[in-house]
Amino acid sequence: MKINRAFLLLTASLFLAATFAWANGQSESTQTQKVVIKVADNLPDRTNGMGLVTQTILDGFTKAHPNVSFEVESYPDQPYQQKMKLYATAGQLPEMFKYWSFSTLLKPLVDGNLVRPLNRADFSDIPYLPGALDSNVYNGKLYGVPVTADMWFVYYNKSLMQKAGVAVPTTISDLMASIPKFKAQGIIPVVTDGKDGWPLSITYDNLVERLTGSFDTVRQAMARKIKFTDPEFVQAAQILQNMAKAGLFQSDLVTSDYGASRNLFGQEKAAMYLMGSWELGLVSDKSFSQNFSDNVAVAKFPVLASGKGQTNDLVAWYGGNWVLGAKSKHPAIDEELIKYLAHQWGPLTWGKQAAIPAQKIQPNETDSPLAKAILQIAGEATSTSGTTTLDSSTPAFKETHQKLCIELVSGVLTPEQFAQQLDAAAAQAAGQ
Amino acid sequence: MHAVFTNRKAIVALTVPALLVMLFAIVAPILLSIYYGLTSWAGFGKLTFVGLRNYRDIITADPTFWHSLANAVILALVTIFIQNPVAFVIAAALTKVKRSRIFRTIYFIPAILTVVVVTRLWVSIFNPNYGLLNKVIHALGFSQFSVAWLSNPSTALWSVIFIMIWYGFGWALLFYYSGLMTMSPEIEEAAVIDGANRWQLYTRVVIPYIFPVIQAVLIIDVISSLKQMEVIYLSTNGAPGDATQFIANYLYIKAFMYSQYGYGSAISVMFVVIALILTLVTRGLTNRNPGVEL
Repeated sequence: MKINRAFLLLTASLFLAATFAWANGQSESTQTQKVVIKVADNLPDRTNGMGLVTQTILDGFTKAHPNVSFEVESYPDQPYQQKMKLYATAGQLPEMFKYWSFSTLLKPLVDGNLVRPLNRADFSDIPYLPGALDSNVYNGKLYGVPVTADMWFVYYNKSLMQKAGVAVPTTISDLMASIPKFKAQGIIPVVTDGKDGWPLSITYDNLVERLTGSFDTVRQAMARKIKFTDPEFVQAAQILQNMAKAGLFQSDLVTSDYGASRNLFGQEKAAMYLMGSWELGLVSDKSFSQNFSDNVAVAKFPVLASGKGQTNDLVAWYGGNWVLGAKSKHPAIDEELIKYLAHQWGPLTWGKQAAIPAQKIQPNETDSPLAKAILQIAGEATSTSGTTTLDSSTPAFKETHQKLCIELVSGVLTPEQFAQQLDAAAAQAAGQ
Repeated sequence: MHAVFTNRKAIVALTVPALLVMLFAIVAPILLSIYYGLTSWAGFGKLTFVGLRNYRDIITADPTFWHSLANAVILALVTIFIQNPVAFVIAAALTKVKRSRIFRTIYFIPAILTVVVVTRLWVSIFNPNYGLLNKVIHALGFSQFSVAWLSNPSTALWSVIFIMIWYGFGWALLFYYSGLMTMSPEIEEAAVIDGANRWQLYTRVVIPYIFPVIQAVLIIDVISSLKQMEVIYLSTNGAPGDATQFIANYLYIKAFMYSQYGYGSAISVMFVVIALILTLVTRGLTNRNPGVEL
């Protein structure tokens, strides 16, 4: 049989193309003068906020070390976490990546020897806030540099509040009473990221504290000294469910992810945004209107008139950090990079008003009103929560907590069922 | 050519690469999944052997797993009893229409879009405040029917199933159209001459003739119903509660969000077993009318 000439030609050209592609891939890696460092973070927007800060630092490092260039991967928050877990499983973590200091996220990497310990002396001259650096210490070694002091409050849009005739709510009942006024104007009262669930979990912690007056209550339940089925936990769950039932949040709460809820607030469709202090960059986000930038402000989380929690009890923790992957062809350059980043991070983050860094900063007259307001809230805080319940245990507990909160606000669970399942999850996590 | 086919060495040399690919790409991962299913492991770090505990927990203590399986079965039933008949009727109609190519192209366009595009498109349409669907409902005056389609526990599953049916419709149509086109017109003419009306023509002649095609489509439908992951991940991630959870998405969540890689692997093994059982059941149920061998 004559072999079909066309078939032979096609096979041969495919084979040649494959060989060329392989050869091309080979030649790049044999250039040893240039160093390419893989960096990953959850900051896809490089034009604003912490994304801009990160890119500025990387560009600055390249300027100082012309042979170093970066391959950056950025994804939105939750997909980023999953991607890093995938990389961890495959043993392909980048040389430097943004992560979180929690036992739910960093500790498994430490236990798996996937992150490199850092030299504490490299960072001793940075004026970190008390406890910031220590939140990254496991087994006596430092594994990350903290990036932000995270606080939980309510951003609001002054012009939308005025349009609906609503004063800034100081109590939960004020908040609930404002719902019909907003609805009459076609404004969503409060938005938050319901799809990922963790904002609901943090809000739940805040509600428990507003009821009992202490952040220790949830800690005691996690330590199994008391149970999550106790009345105060069930009552807090009832309040959270009532908020959702009354239409306080966007109607597609459980399918709105981080970006979607942020956009609803930035596009002025919602009057309030339940989120953390790392969103200081809202005020300088060019994709939102000038009216929004002029009107965005922040308020403390409301109190419960019948509860013991005070307005200056603040849910605050150290979350985000930068870590080094353990596998690296050039560990010395990586360590220099993270040292450079840590020293640049504070001044740049505050300078660009991207977020509140985890170190002491100098307030300026030129700071935006939003930044000044956040600093004021931070300064007035009389008690802080520390790491939230959500992130104080195992990854499985974290996912369960989030899922239960989502089910609570969707009405799938009653507050009693929520409390029961949360308690069961806490018992299981404590047993491990 | 004859020499090649009778030369044992040549046969082995030519089939070994394909067998190796199958071994490494299919058999080895399944065996590894069975192994990891017997462990408690985060995907990295310490690996602990726990025996059949994961499998026992899935079968006896995991309502989410059974709910996900039920959702997949519901999807399979909707695909078989709603999508397929509609696709068949339209395919049959298209065989009679002169300029059928333009219609076939239009119906097939959803199938060539990527799943990300399709899901984001429908998530936007289903958006309760700004989506097209609710705006049309309001405009028509039926405001009481405008709900949060993907967030409301009673409508979420059906909205997600709709997305999947819409996406896969082009494939079903393509299979049925191709099957119907293989039938020569003489058979139809003969039946009509013998006095068959349209109903008898289709149920007694056409459908038995293309039954192998129908059987293949049914098996593909059952398998792909079980495999649904991307649409869920990109739209609801299983929420609210477990209303829209499907097995493939659930195993992804368990492995990479709960960091319970061993448990996720155990789910995947159960999934393979269930898929095999359902395939055999589908084949068994549809083997009564053999029709013509394709």
